[in-house]
Amino acid sequence: MKAIFAIVKRLLASNAISYIVTLLMVLCATSSGDTVLSNGNYTWLLAVMTPFFFVFYDYAKLMHLGASKKDYCIGCLISYGILAFGISLVNTLIHMLIDPVYPARAVINMMDVCKWTGNNIVVAALQQMFFLLLVMIFLHVLLSMQLYWYGWLTDAALVAIVCIFTPIAALRSVLSNFFQVIMINGNAFLQIGFCLLLSAALSCVGLYVLKRKTL
Amino acid sequence: MIELSNVVKRYGQATVLNNITLAIDEPSIYCLLGRNGAGKTTLLKSIAGYQNITSGTIQVDGKRISTATLDTGVSYIENFAKHLNLPVGKLLRIASEVNPDYDYDFASEMMERFELDVNKKFNHLSLGMKTMVSTIICLASNKSVVLLDEPVLGFDAIMRVEFYDMLTESFRRHPRIIIVSTHIIEEIAKTIQKLIVIDRGSIVFFDTLQSVETKAFSVSGLQKDVETATKHLHVIGKDAVGGLVTAYIFDDPPEQNASLEIHPLSLLDFFIQMVGHKGGTAR
Repeated sequence: MKAIFAIVKRLLASNAISYIVTLLMVLCATSSGDTVLSNGNYTWLLAVMTPFFFVFYDYAKLMHLGASKKDYCIGCLISYGILAFGISLVNTLIHMLIDPVYPARAVINMMDVCKWTGNNIVVAALQQMFFLLLVMIFLHVLLSMQLYWYGWLTDAALVAIVCIFTPIAALRSVLSNFFQVIMINGNAFLQIGFCLLLSAALSCVGLYVLKRKTL
Repeated sequence: MIELSNVVKRYGQATVLNNITLAIDEPSIYCLLGRNGAGKTTLLKSIAGYQNITSGTIQVDGKRISTATLDTGVSYIENFAKHLNLPVGKLLRIASEVNPDYDYDFASEMMERFELDVNKKFNHLSLGMKTMVSTIICLASNKSVVLLDEPVLGFDAIMRVEFYDMLTESFRRHPRIIIVSTHIIEEIAKTIQKLIVIDRGSIVFFDTLQSVETKAFSVSGLQKDVETATKHLHVIGKDAVGGLVTAYIFDDPPEQNASLEIHPLSLLDFFIQMVGHKGGTAR
């Protein structure tokens, strides 16, 4: 366990660029008018940037330091969990404390858009956390594949799904239903359960990719 | 213990490892010699589980090795390995944290011996110092198999001597299988116990250094005399200048007589005879 926590510490520490960019966006982003975007939304940027560093920067370097693939894999999952918790906590605090003091009439926070705030605020924060965890694991797996043919195939499949499913009404509703389950969902039990299930499935895919990863 | 069984590695049409079967079971310092492109790095990376082989099996301590092996028990370092750009002292501490078997005392001692500035960031070190840090991390890992790929690249003469001492010291503390690939043959001879020679993807020699000292000879004389003397011996190479012929043998030397000159081969000469090719064909 000591090795795993050392990896978690290293992964989180070497993610400084993501923290700085996210912090700058949260602090400096402005919008005007009656309806404005909450600056808390920009905290999600951290969830999008982090997997890039874990996959392309940290992996080889940790392996050269003598870490095992198994510890790296578990370390990444724990780090994503910690970051998802942190991002969700910060955005929830911004939603509760800063969004109400905006001079604008309406402040759009993703927690509202996703209908999570219809629940208790703690439950809403948990919904956000598990969704962000899913996003990070998905990106990690997708980025890990990019050096291999099946990564490109997955990219092409994702683009094809968006291109084909969007214009055709019947398929569009399938796509929409999917996002309504994992994201825009007031039913916390269903949403968290689905996010966890997908995260577990994607983690298994990630392990499969890791087992084929060369150095 | 390392066991390779019919290992083949192909990149497209090119066969880099050609049906290698090898068992390395004794803890010792082994030297892997081979020309550029002979397959040394591919062999070491395959044993480390950094890449997959096309066919055959590799086992380390009974565990099958491939990229799918999540914990190989092998420590491998290549000469231009990139590390986190942190102060060297911190880098070694992180290495000790991510690897529970790490010998931090050994790493610290070596840092002092090589006068490495613990506060200097890795990317600010010279090539030789970077390689030294990588090598220290690899040797201190305490894994049952340590693979060093061209570790002396970028070292000056004094650093090389220090490195050989470090290798001996590391082995004395923790006897295990250490394989060092290098081109500087004569220098490492004092440190190693066994020699592996790879040529065009095949292992052409695997034996003790002592066997080279007692069995590798050059036999010179008139062609007829040399051919007669070496008729039933294992001839690994031949040179002819005018009417004089030199045969290089790896066998018990023939009986000395007035018409023959018999000299022991240096390690370098032995290596050249084992893998030397002219125009792509064996000598």
